Amino acid sequence: MKHKLGIVITAVIVAVFLVVAPVDAQQTRLIIGAVYVGSINDFGYNASFHQALTQVAKDIPGVKLVEVENVPETGESERVMEGMIQQGAKLIFPTSFGYNDSARKVAKRHKDVSFAFAGDGATMRNFGVFFGQTQAAMYPMGVGAGKMTKTNKLGFVIGMPIGYALGNVNAFQLGARSVNPKVKTVVVVTGGWADKAKEAAAANALLDQGCDVVAMHVDSPATVIQTVEARGAMSIGFQSVDARALAPKGWITGIGFTWTPYFKQLANDVIAGRFRGEAVYKGLGQMVAIAPFGASVPADVQQAVNQAATKVAQGFNPFTGPLTDNRGSLVLPPGATVGSDQMGNMSWYVDGVVGKVR
Amino acid sequence: MTTPLLLGLIAGAILSGTSLLYATLGETIVERSGIVNLGLEGVLLIGASTGFAVTAATGNAWIGLGAAAIAGALANLLFGWLVVSRKANQPASGLALMFFGFGASALIGSRFIGAIIDGLPKWRPSWLADLRWVKSTTLFNYDLLTWVAIPVAIAAWWALFRTRWGLGVRAVGESPVAAYAAGRNPALLQYQALAIGGLLAGVAGAHLSVSLTNTWAEHMTAGRGFIVIALVIFAKWNPLRAIAGALLFGGAEALQLQIQARGSLISPFILEMSPYILTLLILLLWGGSRRLAAPAYLGRTAYAME
Amino acid sequence: MSEATLPRLTVRYSAIGGAALAMFALILLVAGKDPLKAYIDTFHYTLANAYGFSELLVRMTPLLLAAVAVALPARLGLINVGGEGQLYMGAFAASAAAFAMPQAPAWILLPFVALAGFAGGALWAAVPGVLRAAHLVNETISTLLLNYVAPLVVSYFVFGPWRSTESSAYPQSSQFPEAALLPSYFNTRIHAGLFIAIVALILYWLLVEKTRWGIDMRAIGGNAEAAKRLGIPVSRWIVIALAAGGGFAGLAGMGEAMGIAGRLRQGLSPGYGFTGFLIAWLAGGRPLAILFMAFLFAVITSAGDTLQITQGVPYAVVNILLAMILFIVLARQSARRGAK
Repeated sequence: MKHKLGIVITAVIVAVFLVVAPVDAQQTRLIIGAVYVGSINDFGYNASFHQALTQVAKDIPGVKLVEVENVPETGESERVMEGMIQQGAKLIFPTSFGYNDSARKVAKRHKDVSFAFAGDGATMRNFGVFFGQTQAAMYPMGVGAGKMTKTNKLGFVIGMPIGYALGNVNAFQLGARSVNPKVKTVVVVTGGWADKAKEAAAANALLDQGCDVVAMHVDSPATVIQTVEARGAMSIGFQSVDARALAPKGWITGIGFTWTPYFKQLANDVIAGRFRGEAVYKGLGQMVAIAPFGASVPADVQQAVNQAATKVAQGFNPFTGPLTDNRGSLVLPPGATVGSDQMGNMSWYVDGVVGKVR
Repeated sequence: MTTPLLLGLIAGAILSGTSLLYATLGETIVERSGIVNLGLEGVLLIGASTGFAVTAATGNAWIGLGAAAIAGALANLLFGWLVVSRKANQPASGLALMFFGFGASALIGSRFIGAIIDGLPKWRPSWLADLRWVKSTTLFNYDLLTWVAIPVAIAAWWALFRTRWGLGVRAVGESPVAAYAAGRNPALLQYQALAIGGLLAGVAGAHLSVSLTNTWAEHMTAGRGFIVIALVIFAKWNPLRAIAGALLFGGAEALQLQIQARGSLISPFILEMSPYILTLLILLLWGGSRRLAAPAYLGRTAYAME
Repeated sequence: MSEATLPRLTVRYSAIGGAALAMFALILLVAGKDPLKAYIDTFHYTLANAYGFSELLVRMTPLLLAAVAVALPARLGLINVGGEGQLYMGAFAASAAAFAMPQAPAWILLPFVALAGFAGGALWAAVPGVLRAAHLVNETISTLLLNYVAPLVVSYFVFGPWRSTESSAYPQSSQFPEAALLPSYFNTRIHAGLFIAIVALILYWLLVEKTRWGIDMRAIGGNAEAAKRLGIPVSRWIVIALAAGGGFAGLAGMGEAMGIAGRLRQGLSPGYGFTGFLIAWLAGGRPLAILFMAFLFAVITSAGDTLQITQGVPYAVVNILLAMILFIVLARQSARRGAK
């Protein structure tokens, strides 16, 4: 008796489900799906994408945004992207390197959905790759740090030693050395993009070892900047120019991403049906911007940073040989360069960086 | 000016160890009453997210700390309802509590991610601040929780070993039946131990979010709850040994970062394993005699050997 | 499945599920979300949808194996909370096998890789087994501790010796040779691991229900001292049961690496080992109930995906629903069983 009732109830529920099918709003011209590895309010990497996409959704009528945060860089992400496609998403932003395999698999299954992957690798008709060239932009940051340091020891907290992160560290050190021959950059790897307690401990460790300027390449610069600020040292921001608010005293300057124009173009391309997967890497002035200077930065330092930034924006590549790595071997012969397409494969630290790649 | 490795290490160990110590003291009291809470990770998370959320909402880190302590106690009482009143299986209830903590902390904290808070105020006596080596580290520049961590540990030891209440708790941990026969109320004592343990775990979680990092992120405890369960054993269920244990385990984290900052070549992963391996080795060395240190009833319900 | 018939089980589990769903709905309401829409969406995107349903099976695969890894030693009264670590070691050993013979054809490499996966988990679990059998360290604590060592072993290798040199130098191994990958079916992610899991479940059922060994194991679980006096080699059984359990967890890790990821990387498992423990425990070690519970857990975790995609609720929040079910069952079962 009891379980007959159960069957009846189940049948009723199923019937209700089948009737109440999801109704799509008629006004929507494009649904964008964004997959984030962290939180969109992180003052950093994820916030930079969230802000740009929110702006796109506001500026282009009929664009709707579906966002999912804290998606692990495993097979899980494949399910999330599939779910977005079921929701009707036609443009997907897998915003972390670790989504590479999964995103490509989903893209192969859904030829009618366009993908803009924040990373590198081969492109497909419906799969483009892009990123901001932060590495060259780190050069003027190094100039600022090299001029401001009193101990000649700079600190750099990185999440994982991937090529792009090594490139940031290297350009930072090269920039710093260009104005201060005695300077060294000490690297600490936390092993994850978002282990807050460890980031705080890493920043403390760098300060304990005598660094007085700390830069970082983790998803959210907030923890490192706040820790450094609390101890009266200086910081160089990364990922988002808004991070300046976290360090009223010790902020020197920083770089952040400005994705909006490119994302707008992508959204319009998908709406017009002319999306083609491409590799797009843009640097200072386009996808990367320099944050305002902190109050304590003297005019001559500001001028030196701006000069270096102009040089980079005009095409100067800090990775121009001859360059030796921090174990003394020549990694770039005279005249050779590392372009943005090879940046992901960088596997060495330049002379003057204290750290080990693997 | 390079600080010697040792000073940096001590400074880092104290920073990382504070949270570990509070959680260890809490779990020690709980285990002394004959209960193992494998869900401590979840309680720490609830403490961290509640502490951060309330601090962000009220603008006062002390209120956040208090709320975290209460939230931790409530989580432990929920666990207590299962394992004390309903006599449910302890490891399963613990893991259920852990999953509950994952979910509840994400829900509580989600609206406050990215909020900027003023954490617990830090204070360093001026006569210490001028010492040459102290100046360049975090040594002696602590919030109240770090300053009173050792007194709290001594108080926990005193409560467990020098009061009638502590005698009761330990009696329950040895044999609830005998404690009952002696006129004690085992369930009440276990609930009290769980409440105090939860308070301390909540404080431990909050120390991560409103003092050490001033941020909240999902799963920010990153396994510290399990380190603590190892630590309790390492400290032989003794609050005073827990002080040394917390410094040692905190030091393991500090060491891998400090030696990286000095350009060491040792893999950080090998170092990260060390607390777990160390605990296992120590258990191994104690061998059978371990049962003398562990509360006997704990040995029956959770760590049964026979 | 002796005393409880299938319909009665269905009613009981439905009632528990319904109560948990109602409590979770209340929490969603308080959080300002729409629980009804959440449940309808979940139904649409999982059960009423071919892709969604295939993903349920994908999710079930490691959960089934992780549950057997717990249920088997539990027959002897052993508590294996180390499934997570055993899973990682299985994936690690399977990867080592795949990289050791990159040229071998699939008919050699696949069995070799699977065997290595089993062996990796089994050896990892044999350590606590030996320590327990020698009366040195309790297995609950040793398996728990080793959980945190195994992922670090994987990290060490993916950051170090096995680090891929391809794109971004992201910390992961290079791709496994094609011949080492588990075949997948129907253009979905359902892979051969599912059959391994079901075979494992059947083997487990045969072992505990249909063989003399099963009787021996239950005797040890009932009273180890008495079993010893009856001449049952208790120590040997303890090591074998834990190792075999670990082996099944190792197969789960092998499946995730060879069937899903295609390479070794960190964060291989979002806690499958712990979830498997709870499944085995909820199911009381009964094979059919394990199957049902694994399916239920797969549905619930899929609800997490749906919730975050359609309503912006953090994925982790679905753990509350999981915990609700557990709390209800824990409170009920123990009441029925009485103080033990």
